[in-house]
Amino acid sequence: MKFSRKKLRHMFSFSWRDLWVAAAIFLCATGACVLLHQLADTTDGFASPVYVLAVLLISRFTDGYLFGLIAAVLGVIGVNYVFTYPYMAFNFTIAGYPLTILTFLVVSLVTSALTTQAKEQDRLRMENEKVKMRADLLRSVSHDIRTPLTSIVGATSTVLDNPALSKEEQTALLTDVRDDAQWLIRVVENLLSITRIGNDQAKITKQPEAAEEVLGEAVQKFRKRFPAVAVEARIPEELLLIPMDAILIVQVLSNLMENAVFHGGTTTRITLTVQREDNWACFTVRDNGQGIPPQKLGLLFTGTIRDNETSPGDGKRNMGLGLSVCMAIVRAHGGTMEARNADPGAEFTFRLPLSKEEQTI
Amino acid sequence: MMIREKILVIEDEKSISHFISTVLNNNGYEAMQAQTGEEALSMISSHCPDLIILDLGLPDMDGLEILRNLRSWSSLPVVVVSARSHERDKVAALDLGADDYLTKPFGTDELLARVRTAIRHTRTVSGNDEIARNGTYTVGDLVIDYNKHQVRVRGENVHLTLSEFRIVALLGKYAGKVLTYDFIMKELWGPRASGDNQILRVNMANIRRKIEKNPAEPEYLFTEMGVGYRIAEGN
Repeated sequence: MKFSRKKLRHMFSFSWRDLWVAAAIFLCATGACVLLHQLADTTDGFASPVYVLAVLLISRFTDGYLFGLIAAVLGVIGVNYVFTYPYMAFNFTIAGYPLTILTFLVVSLVTSALTTQAKEQDRLRMENEKVKMRADLLRSVSHDIRTPLTSIVGATSTVLDNPALSKEEQTALLTDVRDDAQWLIRVVENLLSITRIGNDQAKITKQPEAAEEVLGEAVQKFRKRFPAVAVEARIPEELLLIPMDAILIVQVLSNLMENAVFHGGTTTRITLTVQREDNWACFTVRDNGQGIPPQKLGLLFTGTIRDNETSPGDGKRNMGLGLSVCMAIVRAHGGTMEARNADPGAEFTFRLPLSKEEQTI
Repeated sequence: MMIREKILVIEDEKSISHFISTVLNNNGYEAMQAQTGEEALSMISSHCPDLIILDLGLPDMDGLEILRNLRSWSSLPVVVVSARSHERDKVAALDLGADDYLTKPFGTDELLARVRTAIRHTRTVSGNDEIARNGTYTVGDLVIDYNKHQVRVRGENVHLTLSEFRIVALLGKYAGKVLTYDFIMKELWGPRASGDNQILRVNMANIRRKIEKNPAEPEYLFTEMGVGYRIAEGN
């Protein structure tokens, strides 16, 4: 019985927003009737349809059945008591009156039922999407993890089982192990970022951060990993404070810079820029590599690109996870992200809103 | 035989403890290992190590608890190791008196650099003996002149405001060490300074614009995201 009671409570749920919506619609209907009454001197013919319409709208725009039914009852009273002869008195002897009452109730119930159903379906669809996203993510991650793990286990066993290996061979194998482990660390950092965003949308804590500190952190991290690639960071003259979760935005910048190296192929220089564009902080990551194959541009942020498709870059690396994490982070900030080819190289741009109010999108 | 500095590694993960100890032993230190908080506390009192590397996630007690216990009777340098990437754990450890922190995963270079810095700090009483000797702190082209209340870059006075100078002076006094936002706020604006560190960050942005060639690629004043600031260590 617990389930049905819960369902019942859901059907008759109350919210202040719904109360205001219902009250506003009902007042409008009453106003219309008063106006018609003054213009035409009688509302006998008009009141019913006006109130039916009101009941229909209320049922449609509020949750559950509660307000629709209340509106139906009030509608019946309004039509009978106020706007039907004799005015300001009840008269239930009018011919066909039961039909009017029935109409009100049926309109209210049917509309409420349809609305509830539509909302339920929306919710299910969203949930399905979430499940699908999670499955995609898991697939992408497992894929990202399996290859380096295989190589780590293989290389370390080779070193342990073959004491006769030359020093150079050992060094080469162990270097591979280190590189693969570092790759795994990056995958895990991305996963941690996702847990930091949380399951529900936009539950991040923003703090105003200085543009140069965020860029500085990302550049410093990147230089440690890729000392051979030149990085340049450009910031505006005046101090730009941007509301954000800095750890997440550094992750976005790191991912974009790493992609520039792994997938740009020939990248030797990366330029990071932050500038103010009205109410937005605009971040750009530009490289001088070979750019993004045109047929991939549209699919970039969907996480659907698989390794065998990412042609010339690093064969086993999949750029799906990194970019979808970037996208999720930027979205959670209420921002936008885009990519284009800049000839030479690729350019990724994302914008974050500067005013705190916009974070609730 | 050379006397080697003793370092106690408090870490429950055997593989990590093993790797840290191997690195330390091969770089002129003598490493000891403790797997639990209980064991660690007894080893600290019996072996008197010169430095402690402390993992915050121990099986039997919170690493912060060990730190609190230790700080009640000793100023022995502590480098905290934490797998949690959340910055508030680092801040809590630093505010409890940890000297530095390492976030897992870290490399051997990083580990050795932190250990060197932390041990050097214990050798000098005020944390920075150049200030005690000459009244200045020098790193690269930057000179903090404590007598003249001036900061010079390549010989030029950079004209800091009073607050700005006090921030730089404080960082210089603890050169190489991360100072948390909270610590700096309290040192500068008193113990009842508001929890909002906006004013500090605006000051810092101004300082950087006066001192650094490119504020986004600092040579002297580093930001530890979400934790605090650090000035580069002297020559």
